[in-house]
Amino acid sequence: MAEQRFATVPRTAPDAADPTPASRRRRFGLEQRRNLTGWIFLVPAAALILWMNFYPMFQALILSLKTGRGTRLNFADPLWFNYERLFSDEIFKLTVGNTFIYLAIQVPIMLVTALVLANLLNDKNLRFKGLWRTAIFLPAAVSLVSYSLVFRTMFANDGFVNDVLLWLNLVDSPINWLGQTDTARFVIILGLLWRWTGYNMVFYLAALQNIDYSSLEAAKIDGAGSFATFWYVTIPQLKPMILLTAIMSTNGTIQLFDESWNLTQGGPAYTSMTMSHYLFEVSFQRNPNFGYGAALSYVILIMVAVLAAVQMKIGDKRD
Amino acid sequence: MTTWKKIAALAVVVPLSLTACGGDNGSNGSDGGDTGDGKLTVWAWDPAFNIYAINEAAKIYQQDNPDVEVEVIETPWDDLQTKLTTLAQSQEFGELPDIFLMQNNAFQKNVINYPDLFSDFSDSDVDFGEFPEGVVAYSTVDGVNYGLPFDNGTAISALRTDVLEEAGYTVDDFTDITWSEFIEKGEDVLAKTGKPLASGMAGSADLIMMMLQSAGASLFDDEGNPTIVGNEALIKSIETYQQLVESGVFVEVNSWDEFIGTFVNSNVAGVMQGVWIMGSIQSAEDQAGKWGITNLPKLDDVDGATHYSANGGSSWAISSNADKELAADFLASTFAGSTEFYDTILPSSGALANWLPAGESDVYGEPQDFFGGEPVFSQVLEFAAEVPSNNTGVYYYEGRDAVSAAVTKILGGTDVETALQEAQDNVEFAMQ
Repeated sequence: MAEQRFATVPRTAPDAADPTPASRRRRFGLEQRRNLTGWIFLVPAAALILWMNFYPMFQALILSLKTGRGTRLNFADPLWFNYERLFSDEIFKLTVGNTFIYLAIQVPIMLVTALVLANLLNDKNLRFKGLWRTAIFLPAAVSLVSYSLVFRTMFANDGFVNDVLLWLNLVDSPINWLGQTDTARFVIILGLLWRWTGYNMVFYLAALQNIDYSSLEAAKIDGAGSFATFWYVTIPQLKPMILLTAIMSTNGTIQLFDESWNLTQGGPAYTSMTMSHYLFEVSFQRNPNFGYGAALSYVILIMVAVLAAVQMKIGDKRD
Repeated sequence: MTTWKKIAALAVVVPLSLTACGGDNGSNGSDGGDTGDGKLTVWAWDPAFNIYAINEAAKIYQQDNPDVEVEVIETPWDDLQTKLTTLAQSQEFGELPDIFLMQNNAFQKNVINYPDLFSDFSDSDVDFGEFPEGVVAYSTVDGVNYGLPFDNGTAISALRTDVLEEAGYTVDDFTDITWSEFIEKGEDVLAKTGKPLASGMAGSADLIMMMLQSAGASLFDDEGNPTIVGNEALIKSIETYQQLVESGVFVEVNSWDEFIGTFVNSNVAGVMQGVWIMGSIQSAEDQAGKWGITNLPKLDDVDGATHYSANGGSSWAISSNADKELAADFLASTFAGSTEFYDTILPSSGALANWLPAGESDVYGEPQDFFGGEPVFSQVLEFAAEVPSNNTGVYYYEGRDAVSAAVTKILGGTDVETALQEAQDNVEFAMQ
C-alpha cells in the first residue's frame, strides 16, 4: 500500500507542474543538466592538463624506451634497455642515496619544527603575532637560486659562517663546508630547512584556525598540560594537513634540483648530487642522452608515487 | 572552500598567462635570426671579454656597412649549451641567433650530436691557414670548418712580483722549472710570506688537464677510447696536484667567484690559467705593476713534457638559422681580417688573437704597465706556438668530470689505481 502511494507521487508531479509537451522532448533531466554544466566548466582545465601534463608524460615514456645521442634516437633493443642500464649506473645509485639522505633527515625535522612553530604562533596571548608569522614565512618568498647563492657565499672558506666561528674561537681554521661530503650535505639540509619550514608552518597555522578552541579549553579543564593538549588534542585534528605537507615535502625533496646545482654543483665527487641534478647532467651537460634522462625521470616518478601511496596508507585512518 | 576554489582558478589561469608570455618571447626570438634584415644577433657570455670584442668588431664592420646592426644577448655558457640542446632537440631552429660563441672543448660534441645547428664556413672568405692548426682542429669535423677561432687559451703562470721579492725570488726563478722545484720554492714563499702561489676550484680538473696537455697527453686515444687507467702522464699530474694541495702551495676553493677572489684580494700570490684570466687579474687596480708572467712548470720524468699548455678558448659559430652571407662576411672581415680590430681589443681585454697576422702588429710588443712593463702579449704568443695539440674528442666533458671526481677521492684517501679505474668505468659507461 505504502509503496504504491509513494511511487505514484513522483510520476504525477512533473505532469502537474509542467504540462507542456515541449518539456517531454528535453534530452536531459534537470539533474543531468546540472552535471553537464559542471563538466563543461571542467573541460578547459582538463584539456589543458591533458595537453600540457599527460601528453608530455606519455611522450617521455616513449622517449625513455629510445636510445641514441642528440636527435638520432631509435627504439632500444630490448625496449627496457635504459631502465636496465640504471641498475649498473654507479653515479645514479649514489644520487639516489643522497636524495634519500636529504629526505630522511630534512623532512621530519622540518615538519616537526613547523608544527611546533605553528602551535607557538597560534597562542592567543602572543604579542606581535603578525610580525613573527611574516618573519618565519618570508624565506618561502625567496627564489631558490638566490638563496642557494647566498648560502654558498655564507659557507665559503672565507665566508660569513667561518668568520663568525673563527671569531668565537670555536674552530682553529676555516671549515671547508662545501668541499667535504658530510658538511656539504649538511649545508644543503640547512638551506632546505631555512627555506621550507615557514612554508609548511603556514599550512599548519591555517589548519589550526579550524580547530575549535573549546576542545583545547576542555582539555585544559580536564587537567591536560600544554604538551598533552598538543599531542592528544591538536595533532589528531591536524592529521589531514600533516599528511598533505608530508606528501608535498617528500615529493619536493625527491625532485630536488636547485640546491644541488647552485650550492654545491653536486660536489665533492657527486656526493651531494640529487637525482634530478643527475638527470639534468645526463640530458644537457654531457653528450645529450635524452632517452636515458627520460627513463631516470620515470624512476623518480615511480618513487614519488610509491612514497605518496605509503604515506596515504599510513596517515589516512578514515574508513 | 572558497580559498581552494580561488587557488584552483589561479592554478588554471597562471599557466595560461605563462604560456602566453612564452609565446610572445618566441615570436620576439625568431626576429633575431632569419635572413636579410641587416641585423645580426649574437650569443656570447662575458661582457668584459667576448661581448666586448664582438661589439668592437661591430663598430669596425659598421664603418663600411653602416646598415648592419649587431645585437648581443648575454648568455652564460651553461645556459647557452642548454638552449642549443633544447632548440636542437625540439627542432626549433628559428629561435637560433645568427652567431654564437662556443667553448672549444664542447665543439666536437655539439657538431657531431647536432649538425643541424651549424652552418659551415666552406663558402666564406675565411682563410683558415691563418690560424694555428691545433686551434682550428677543435671546430673541424671530417675536414669541414664549423668554427672561427676567437680567443686563445694558452696557459700562463702569473705571479705577484712583490710577494716573490719579499721571499727573495724573481719571476725568472719560476721560469723553465719543474713542478718539484715549483713546490719547493712555493713552500719557501709560503713560509716567508704566508701566501700560497696558486688556487683553483676543488672538483674541477683544470690544472690537471693543463698538466696533461703540457705533456701532449689526453684522456682518450686516437679512436676516442678512454685511456684513464695506466695513463702515466695523468698519474704523474694527479700526484703533482696532490703534492701541491698537501704542501699548501695550492689552495682549493669551491666556486669560481671564490677563485677569482683569492688573487684579486691578494690571498694568493699567483694564478695558473688560460691567458684570458688576465682580464680578471687586471680588475684589481691596486695590484698594477705587481704582476709578472712566465711559462708553466714542467712535469718531472714524463716523456714529451713541456712548459706549455692551454685551457679554454672559444670559437664563433654561424647558426643554421643565420643570414649566412652577412654573418660570414662580418666574421671574415673582423675576426679573420682586421689587424685594427685585434689592436683595439687586446690591451683592454687581454683577448689574445689566434689570427696569426694580428701577432705581427706592434701592439703585441708594447710593454704593459700592469705587468711590470713587460711585453707580456708577445711573450704569450711565443708560448702559444709551443702548445702541444689536445685531443678533446666527443666525450671530453665526461672524461674531465670523471677525472675531477677521481681527484677528489684521491685527495680524500682513495688509492690512485682504484679511483682511476672507477673513473674509466664511469666514462665507458657514459659512452655506451
